[in-house]
Amino acid sequence: MKILTTVKKVVDVELTIRVESAAIVEEGLQYVMNAWDENAVEASVQLKENNGAETTLVSIGGDDDNTQIIRRGFAMGIDNGIQIDDPLLAGADSFVLARVLQKVYEKGSYDLVITGKQAQDTDNGQTGIILAENLEIPCVSNVVAIDVIDDELLKVTRLGDGGKEIVELKLPAVVTVSDSINEPRLPQMRGLMMAKKKKIEVMDLAALGTSFEEVGGSDNRSEILEFSRSQAREAGKKYEGDAAEITAQVVGLLVNEAKVL
Amino acid sequence: MNPLVMAFLLFIALSVFCYSMVRKIQLLQALAPANRADHLKTRFKNMIILAVGQQRLIGRAKERSSGIMHAFIFWGFCILLIRSLMLYGEGFQKGFELPFFGEPDLLGYLYIALKDLVEGIVLVMVIWAIYRRAVVKPERLHNSFKAYLVLVLIGILMVSDLLYDGARFNLVQLPNLSSDIHIFNNPQYGPEFLWAPLSKAAAALISGFSAGTLSLLLVVMFWLHICTQMVFLNILPYGKHFHVITALPNVFFKSLGYPHEKAKLLDMEDEDAWENESLGLNHIHQLDWKQALDLFTCTECGRCKQVCPTYATDKPLNLYDFNLNLRQELTDNEAAIIQRAKLLSGAEQSGHDTDTLKEEVLALNSEKQLVGDVIAEDTLWACTTCRACEEVCPVTIEHVPRIIGMRQGQTLIAQSYPKELNPALKGLERNGNPWGIGYDKRDEWAKGLGVTKIADNPDVEYLLWVGCAGSFDDRAKKISVSLVKILQKAGVSFGILGVEEKCTGDFARRVGNEMLFQMLAQENVETLNGYNVKKIIAACPHCLNTLKHDYPQLGGNYQLIHHSEFIEQLIKEGKIKLNQSMKGTVTYHDPCYLGRYNDIYRQPRSVLQAVSIDEIKEMDRSGKESFCCGAGGGRMWMEESIGTKIYLERTREILDLQATTVAVSCPFCLTMIEDGIKEMEKVDTVRTRDIAELVAQYMV
Amino acid sequence: MAKVLVIADIKRGEVKRSTAELLAKARSIGAETAAVAIGNNLEALIPSLVSGGSDSQYIADDPGLELFSAGPYATCVVDAASQFGADQIWFASTENSKAVAPKVAARLGVACATDITDVAYTGDNIEITRPAIANKVIQRVKINSEKLVAVVRAGAFKMTDESTAGSENVIRLSAPPTDLGAVVKELIADASGEIDLGDAAIVVSVGRGVKDQKGIDLVKGLADDLGAGFGTSRAMVDSGLMEHNKQVGQTGKIVAPKLYISVGISGAIQHLSGMTGSQVILAVNNDPEAPIFNVADYGIVGDLFEVVPILRQQIKSIQR
Repeated sequence: MKILTTVKKVVDVELTIRVESAAIVEEGLQYVMNAWDENAVEASVQLKENNGAETTLVSIGGDDDNTQIIRRGFAMGIDNGIQIDDPLLAGADSFVLARVLQKVYEKGSYDLVITGKQAQDTDNGQTGIILAENLEIPCVSNVVAIDVIDDELLKVTRLGDGGKEIVELKLPAVVTVSDSINEPRLPQMRGLMMAKKKKIEVMDLAALGTSFEEVGGSDNRSEILEFSRSQAREAGKKYEGDAAEITAQVVGLLVNEAKVL
Repeated sequence: MNPLVMAFLLFIALSVFCYSMVRKIQLLQALAPANRADHLKTRFKNMIILAVGQQRLIGRAKERSSGIMHAFIFWGFCILLIRSLMLYGEGFQKGFELPFFGEPDLLGYLYIALKDLVEGIVLVMVIWAIYRRAVVKPERLHNSFKAYLVLVLIGILMVSDLLYDGARFNLVQLPNLSSDIHIFNNPQYGPEFLWAPLSKAAAALISGFSAGTLSLLLVVMFWLHICTQMVFLNILPYGKHFHVITALPNVFFKSLGYPHEKAKLLDMEDEDAWENESLGLNHIHQLDWKQALDLFTCTECGRCKQVCPTYATDKPLNLYDFNLNLRQELTDNEAAIIQRAKLLSGAEQSGHDTDTLKEEVLALNSEKQLVGDVIAEDTLWACTTCRACEEVCPVTIEHVPRIIGMRQGQTLIAQSYPKELNPALKGLERNGNPWGIGYDKRDEWAKGLGVTKIADNPDVEYLLWVGCAGSFDDRAKKISVSLVKILQKAGVSFGILGVEEKCTGDFARRVGNEMLFQMLAQENVETLNGYNVKKIIAACPHCLNTLKHDYPQLGGNYQLIHHSEFIEQLIKEGKIKLNQSMKGTVTYHDPCYLGRYNDIYRQPRSVLQAVSIDEIKEMDRSGKESFCCGAGGGRMWMEESIGTKIYLERTREILDLQATTVAVSCPFCLTMIEDGIKEMEKVDTVRTRDIAELVAQYMV
Repeated sequence: MAKVLVIADIKRGEVKRSTAELLAKARSIGAETAAVAIGNNLEALIPSLVSGGSDSQYIADDPGLELFSAGPYATCVVDAASQFGADQIWFASTENSKAVAPKVAARLGVACATDITDVAYTGDNIEITRPAIANKVIQRVKINSEKLVAVVRAGAFKMTDESTAGSENVIRLSAPPTDLGAVVKELIADASGEIDLGDAAIVVSVGRGVKDQKGIDLVKGLADDLGAGFGTSRAMVDSGLMEHNKQVGQTGKIVAPKLYISVGISGAIQHLSGMTGSQVILAVNNDPEAPIFNVADYGIVGDLFEVVPILRQQIKSIQR
């Protein structure tokens, strides 16, 4: 089985994000692999270890942070790495990215695409599903377990609105994974050392056999106009003391002041 | 007696003994090297005080009676060595006398008296020892056949010598045999038996026997004594009594570096090390000779078990078994290890084919997994690295570096370690702190306090190393704030690194993650050296210890001062004044990494006393024998899922003291003890405070 | 006049409140509204769709749609949208709608925006507002395509006092082909008879402050007294004491009820990001330093085992 895993570089969400002049302040920010994509990489590596699958990682973006996350994927156990480096793609929306990924998919021969269900910076959660539509292959999202039945069939567990769904998925297919699916391993020293030496296949759109127009690059369906900081919620009042007294006090406030009871 | 028999026996005994010793020495030579040939004078002094002087046995209040018992047996042995020489001489030549200890010499007679006294004492001690083992059955002792055997052999040695003399004294009285029997009878000092009351009593005991029986007894007791000694000598290398031979060298070669010899810095870029799996301790043949000597020297006394916090809370780390299992594995693989060393050194000279060589060498590896088969995983990771075991070991065995070495092997080569450490390790990697909180928030605790950033003023005299807890943990931040207050009041010139500070990597190193440790250390050293930092004040003993002892390996050499030392100094210099008005029973909990790792016990107490009206009430397990809070060795980031909780054990001890304040000087101890008090629902009766908090509170 | 198609959010045979909220918002921007309901045995739901505020109701009612499958559901939505001539297609935020919306947008060749908190026409363009980077920033986004598929964040659109009912105008859609590539073999349903977190006006959540089932039962009692949804924190789910579908937080459910009561929850960032949209927050915790107090409007510092029974007592006496 050949697996294509897509990973994205995102800002470390633990950091304080500052906004100035309607844009995000880049200074002091550091970038890491999207947490849900870490789950995707872990799921792929587990399929490699348990079922002998061949794994390939693809990331769109040419800078060093992107290179580092591909190397991190190697260190976790991924076999091959593809980096799409084309400056024209900066600011591409999910539809454009999905087209690019489609080209990557079609250039190789894959049976399964695994991606995290959303990215920590945009929280869009669209790219994987759109890719499946483009490729006209089935897609199951929010997956918490993947079992291989044979070369052509997977059994996946999805967390849906009504409960857990057990789905039989015909390959080739796209799966987007939830963070409940696994605990991503920390890359170990050995893996990191080997990762340093592994070759990454770097391609621009031309090398991929396509063009900016073909992937719809000039036609972003949405564009971000501005950023602003979220309103932080202010702390209210804390009540300490005799439990009966303060509880009565607060209940009174909920009824009369907040009017929610 | 009979020179031929004597020579024969001696030949056999010494040959066997030499063979045993040579094998052991070959084994030691075949193991990894360790440089312990420095500072010979200090080493000699250690040996005299600790080994010869039995300091940890008789100097320690706990277990003193059994310590005295052993000391007497040991010293008795040493004294009786001279007697042995006399007897061997007698075996070759009748009437043999040692120079200076002969009939003409007062020393000879004095020695007779001493020998008699000592044999009596040793016999009593041995009987007591057997009684202790068999009847009293102290928990820390492991009763084995060999333990009893050796005690019995020593008993036989004493009894046989006393009866030999007894027979001799009786026979010398008999007219027709007196010329055959040799005793001292110097007119100046009198007959021998005047100086040997115990032997005389033995003589009285057997005086009823016939001359024939007595003659037989004489010969039998003599050869019994000689043979017992030879048997004794030859069983020594096999079992815990090897310590009789190895204890003195083991103490001589012990670590001089405090607390341990600096572990060699692992070079993770070294391809060969990966191939040989020699990063950390993965195979028994990777022990260095001193570590093997440690294992040989373990006397199975069990004192380490008694003070170990994990053992006290029913976890599977039983140091006794730990050492014994390793020793067994070492012995099982003795031949293979020696063969391995031969192959490798031979190959260098003959230019052997590398692939077949590798295969042959690989085939000599032990069949057992070091961690897994020999030592259980739970055992390895239960250790809090508190060093209580090393502090009480009478023969100065170093347990902790072996544990760290095995953890290194597990993390780097086997890639097997408690996965619950992952969030903390990931936090270190990404944001330089185990909580994974954004690095950009590291100095938020200092907002509004007017603290200088060293980037703004690199000329400050001291760098205040805040540490991860002091920067991010809500409770520990109060320590940082208090300390800043104190330093500012005293007009100290200091600065902090702010967001440039990263975790020192202490816990990464203690869990064997050298990769992460070296990465953090290198970054910190670069930052510190970039600012030309010379003096660092730290409130956290783990930070202090790592910066002081581990960073020099990576180019970081700084003078480290614990905040309690610094505050004590400030008080002495009158730079801060304290209102000694704190009421209530107060006690102090010694942090392992401040006390046993850095020998700082007095200063926190002196500072504490300066604010407390009442005298500090000490816990039973305090000072050098303080009981760990349970957070060291990376255990802060792991759950205690086996046995009872270490921090509750310590909390109970604090509560039993009925203290109203417990003072600490480490943010980990603060957290663990406060959690313990919360869990035992005594928050209203006991408050936990860092030294800095108390000083800030009582500062005028 | 723009045309907005709202996909009805149906759970256990009921149309959830969010549907009416979305329809109300559509009206408030001056749009003509339609609702599409997809499932099985939907006849009884039509009145709620009408009273919720839709002027047309597209019904895809078929046994084959009993179990959710993204492909067929997307086909129904596309069908309804084409028939209606929708300019905007709105979903309430659920796992299922997040699986369907991008498919619909891809098939229609239009933009897709998820987790939106506001939408408006600025001139000819649609503009939406949505949070990003773990709710730390807000994006204002211009939609370049003429039409938009949007997934609306829970609680983002509130009911107004003047929501008008719609009119009945039912159009039946034909059953879509099944997705042979992804076949749902089994549904292990969540426990029934529970108030849905996304729907509830009051949510009571329990955290690690309770140590065991007894504590959980105590807090559940409070939730029952209030007729509230019962939620929890990640720590409780991880320890196995509570089910994942009750988890409120970044990786669980985002809720925005009228009143959110957290009991024994310290307030880790991922939990906070799931409930700071609530109108009023009451927190009960015995640690005065707990971060939850930084976002709570009212905080009671005390032992929950003391406070919760008193709270229940007080509430019961008010209800009389």
